[in-house]
Amino acid sequence: MEFVLKAILKVVKIALILFVVTFGIYMNNLENKLIFYVIRPLLNKHYDSQVRDRRV
Amino acid sequence: MNFSEFTDILVAPIDKALQRYDPIWLAENGKGGQRTRYNDKNGIEKYREWRGTKDTLRDYVAWLKNVGSMGQMVASAPVACLKGFWEYRWMGSYLGTFIFINRLFEGYRGEELKIANMHMHAITSSLTKKIAFVLKNDKRLGGGPDSDNIIPYDETLPPLYLMGFPGLTPVPLQTLPEFIICDIDQHIEPYYIDVAESMGLPADVCSRCSAETGVAIDDAFPIMGRGMLSSNMPCNASEATSSFQRRRIGLPDFPVTLAMQHQEEEGKDFSEQVLKDSMKFIEDIYGVKYDWNELFKYAKLMNEQNEIEMEKWDIFATPYSPLNGISETLYKLYEWQSVNGAEPMFNEVDRKVIKIMRDCVDKKYEAFGGKTRHRAFLWGPSAVYYTDFPTWAQNCWGINVVLNMDSTMGYNHIDTEDPVKAMRDLTEFSQRSCMRHHAVGGWDNINAVWDWAKRFNCDMIICNDNVACKGMNGVHAALEEQAAEYGMHWVWLEHDLEDSRTVSRQDMRKCINDYMSVVLGEEPLDATIVEFDDSEGY
Repeated sequence: MEFVLKAILKVVKIALILFVVTFGIYMNNLENKLIFYVIRPLLNKHYDSQVRDRRV
Repeated sequence: MNFSEFTDILVAPIDKALQRYDPIWLAENGKGGQRTRYNDKNGIEKYREWRGTKDTLRDYVAWLKNVGSMGQMVASAPVACLKGFWEYRWMGSYLGTFIFINRLFEGYRGEELKIANMHMHAITSSLTKKIAFVLKNDKRLGGGPDSDNIIPYDETLPPLYLMGFPGLTPVPLQTLPEFIICDIDQHIEPYYIDVAESMGLPADVCSRCSAETGVAIDDAFPIMGRGMLSSNMPCNASEATSSFQRRRIGLPDFPVTLAMQHQEEEGKDFSEQVLKDSMKFIEDIYGVKYDWNELFKYAKLMNEQNEIEMEKWDIFATPYSPLNGISETLYKLYEWQSVNGAEPMFNEVDRKVIKIMRDCVDKKYEAFGGKTRHRAFLWGPSAVYYTDFPTWAQNCWGINVVLNMDSTMGYNHIDTEDPVKAMRDLTEFSQRSCMRHHAVGGWDNINAVWDWAKRFNCDMIICNDNVACKGMNGVHAALEEQAAEYGMHWVWLEHDLEDSRTVSRQDMRKCINDYMSVVLGEEPLDATIVEFDDSEGY
């Protein structure tokens, strides 16, 4: 019984932490800030350096 | 008291305490509005919209589900996805999806938010699977087990009739690298347009066709299949880009040249023969026999979608539709043009949505807190998506876009027993696809805007004024004269389709701002979004 209770508590704790973390990311728009300010500029630098075989 | 009413009471104190973060409350109280939480120019939100406890949690769950779909995409084809991001500039633009979704549903609450999230998740789920499938089988990236079992076809053709080839998967060629992505990232197509123009293509053609040509020249179309179906749609510029694409892609090609004047019976005979010939082309190239029973399976799904759509239209005509604006038009465009009966998940979504809509009619539920002042029929293409125009129009001026032209495509019933009848039905259905049924299928299509507006009890028509569309430029005066005769509010919405440099998003909004403030003398619902600079944003 104690084991089951502990397991439930652990699941609740993990779920709570997951909720706080993901809701924090969601509410503060963190994933979009990371994409816009960090990832996309790096990708653009890569795309701009590509040599493409352009002809009609 | 039901469960929902009970939870409303529970969260009421929280909502009261946090209402100063709610942009609608801010606008109503002259303390700010939707734009308050944005960084200027780049359009990045400092924090997401607070919609009240229940709706914020609802939107958070929808976000989690969409994150899950994207995770699944990468997990299902990790190497191909990485290669895709590395190879294709347009893949990088898909990272802007969440910024796009946030903008689309600003101000959405309650039932309209519930439906919008269901619709967007259906699109995200379907699209991410398609991206993974295409990248996994893209011959440029090494190919995969289905590389030769894909039928690449021009995205303006409806894929339903191609579902009769067992073991083959139709994939719209332009949808992933050009069409969908132009809605998400306003800066991606100008790059491809520049590529096309650097090769000498004139700058005054339709920017979609120009961008498609740029994608072809930049070798940014995934290569798949053994032969492709191009099309004469939707106009002369489109024919030109089809030629550039077939040259560059280098696959055997069958041009599906459906009749442009499709209302005439003679046109149907011609189009039917063209469709049959294209089916023969696929049979010969792929060595697969057409199976009508396979087709009927999907035609039944498409018929159900259209039956539900007709019921939705009845509800659209009332003030009690929680489905409207961008949520309606973007979903319908994707469901019709890209899914076309091929994905049962969309039927499930439709069944759930129509149930919510029926309930809303019973409850006399008015969307957007009943703040709608005008009901508009919109005749607008891609530029209204990357501008999240319908959402802005409602939030700023209370203009509810009841229906967009993209939702008026083929809705005829397709026979599911007799191949001869089904062929004729498929012909009519295919002729009423994107663009052919809109600006370039003859005057009757354009002139139908009055019938559409009346059918949905609209008092306003917002009509696309594409600076590079030769077809629509010719009908200005005729439409303005009719608007005066019918006493309907008529607003031209200037844009350059996929080139936001020529006509910016703010230039587009200004068309409405001028009409609403100068002609109608109305005050905005949210003063922070009348004029703002989002030129650097996705």
